[in-house]
Amino acid sequence: MKKPSRSFVRELSWFVPAAVLLLALVVYPVLRTIGLSFFHKNLLTGFNSQFAGLENFARIITDSRFGSSLWVTVLFTLISVTVEFGVGLLLALCASSLRQWRTAVRVILLIPWTLPTAVIAVLWAWMLNDQYGGVNAVLLRVGLIHSPVTWLAEPATAMAAVVFADVWKTAPFVFLILYAGLQNIPRELYDAIEVDGGGAWAGFRYVTWPHLLPFTFVALIFRIVQAFAVFDLIWVMTGGGPGGSTETLSVYTYRTYMRYLDFGYGAASVVTTVVILALIAGGLYRLVVTKYERAF
Amino acid sequence: MLMEPDGTGLWQAIIEDFQTLHPDIRVQLVEGPAPTDTREDMYSVSFLSGAAAYDIVYCDVIWTPKFAAAGWLLDLTDRASARDTADFLPADLHAGTYRGRLYRIPAFTDAGVLYYRKDLVSSPPATFDELEQLSRTFQSSDRSGFLWQGKQYEGLVTVFLEVLWGYGGDWIDPETREVSLDQPEALRALDFLKRSLGTISPTAVTTYAEEDTRTLFQNERAIFLRNWPYVWTAMAQSPLRKEGRVGMAPVVHAPGQRSAATLGGWGFAISKFTRNPEAAWQVVQYLTSREQLVKIQSRMGRIPARRSMLPPEFTPILESARMRPAIPEYAQASDILQRWLSAALTGRVDPEEALKKAAHETRSLLGTGA
Repeated sequence: MKKPSRSFVRELSWFVPAAVLLLALVVYPVLRTIGLSFFHKNLLTGFNSQFAGLENFARIITDSRFGSSLWVTVLFTLISVTVEFGVGLLLALCASSLRQWRTAVRVILLIPWTLPTAVIAVLWAWMLNDQYGGVNAVLLRVGLIHSPVTWLAEPATAMAAVVFADVWKTAPFVFLILYAGLQNIPRELYDAIEVDGGGAWAGFRYVTWPHLLPFTFVALIFRIVQAFAVFDLIWVMTGGGPGGSTETLSVYTYRTYMRYLDFGYGAASVVTTVVILALIAGGLYRLVVTKYERAF
Repeated sequence: MLMEPDGTGLWQAIIEDFQTLHPDIRVQLVEGPAPTDTREDMYSVSFLSGAAAYDIVYCDVIWTPKFAAAGWLLDLTDRASARDTADFLPADLHAGTYRGRLYRIPAFTDAGVLYYRKDLVSSPPATFDELEQLSRTFQSSDRSGFLWQGKQYEGLVTVFLEVLWGYGGDWIDPETREVSLDQPEALRALDFLKRSLGTISPTAVTTYAEEDTRTLFQNERAIFLRNWPYVWTAMAQSPLRKEGRVGMAPVVHAPGQRSAATLGGWGFAISKFTRNPEAAWQVVQYLTSREQLVKIQSRMGRIPARRSMLPPEFTPILESARMRPAIPEYAQASDILQRWLSAALTGRVDPEEALKKAAHETRSLLGTGA
């Protein structure tokens, strides 16, 4: 075999710092979590690891709380990503058709996205407070409601509240991605549509939408992954309540770790969550890729 | 040390007094958030990292087994003086013990109380039937019969346990770890609570916690209220108490059974990771001394967990107080029970089904039969 050249060794050495960082901060925790999910490690075992095989995963299947938090997570992701996408697309279309004030509008629209999630959660929890909140005060004055609504104390309104806060924060992110996509579309294509006698709808259908598809994919994947793993917003706003009606998988997993001190089971629920998420993302990827190819 | 929010400033004052007596020991009071389970998690996080962020743990009765089983608390068995242990209430002392070793020094005790309107009801009910009868007789359109805490949280568990024990049932045996939630007594208990909704209790009790029910009762909107002793002090300025129209009684039970109130309360433990166990122990001794407990009792209405300081009006109630199962997995077992109780009470699941599921999940949690 040929001796590796000196320049190859030197090139390899450039790679070492990054590799060490990745190994220590990403690969090691991931492998350890996967490993831990096959062990019992909790208060009962005195925090010692006992091999459990697939028992933790079997428990997940029969755990009604895991099931209900999975449902909450899916529901949350589905509604909030759909609404965010709709709002983001609308904002992007409106903003890019502006002739003046573009920069100002862009900056204002992006403000919610730049705020820390925990701050937004506290902000909306206060706005929705039944006694002192601004939302009830306005609705009462307008006469839409006659007594204060306890937004965060009812399962349905609590879910609506966390979805709303999430949309408020992340629709600007979708806006940003799609807006960038819109800037890439050559104007001549719209002129061509016009020449062919197509209206605004045809322009959107045959020019805007196909060009936006790859950007749509980026926005959706980012948003789905983030929404599926939502933690801070819900933790601060409702803590998963009332009665577990807003408890997502990551909130439940956090409780399993930090409150129940059941590290083996917690690891198993993380692994399960990631597998489900990977399936969803993979499915979406295939869907978009096939659609994207057909569009051209 | 991490404490509850110091609304009255009394904790700070007590700590300052301690500092003047012991200038060599520096005590820093950290006011934690009001929800107790948030503070429980804050302790867990700091313990898990192995750091001595907090030397002294202001500890709820139900945390002791978990923290002790995790090996996070200092064994205080040999430090506590015989004179003190003889004075602390046995139930509270027992609640601070895990596997025969003492980890938590009791400070205040708590137990479920039945408050009743003396002006309407001449003598308090002893049984569930009497409670139902009296409620039906005296309730009206703007006055409900019986208020309790039905929101999905720890309070619901304490209420349910009193009813369950009153019917002679049990939840989890801490020794054998056997679960009895699918026994007929448990169904009778849940049926009682479920039946009360819309008949003698407002249906909204399923969203009420302690303060919601206290406010309603204090505004003369109910005949009976199940709550904790703090209500007695909280109502001190209200017409109800000034005019002697409110009384206290042990919680009700079934004929042939005994009244059993759920034991609550707070105490002090010392972190295993502390660098100054001696100093921490001096602080704990100071905080649980008679002199300090008297101050806290008069300012905050907490009942000292000392036999010699028990207010006579609470003695019969506190004597019957029973401990929630002392198991390390308490928080999780309680969450399971809360979820299924709440599901049954709000009509999402049939009570029998709910208890069966709860029993099943608890058993698989405790590893006692799947």
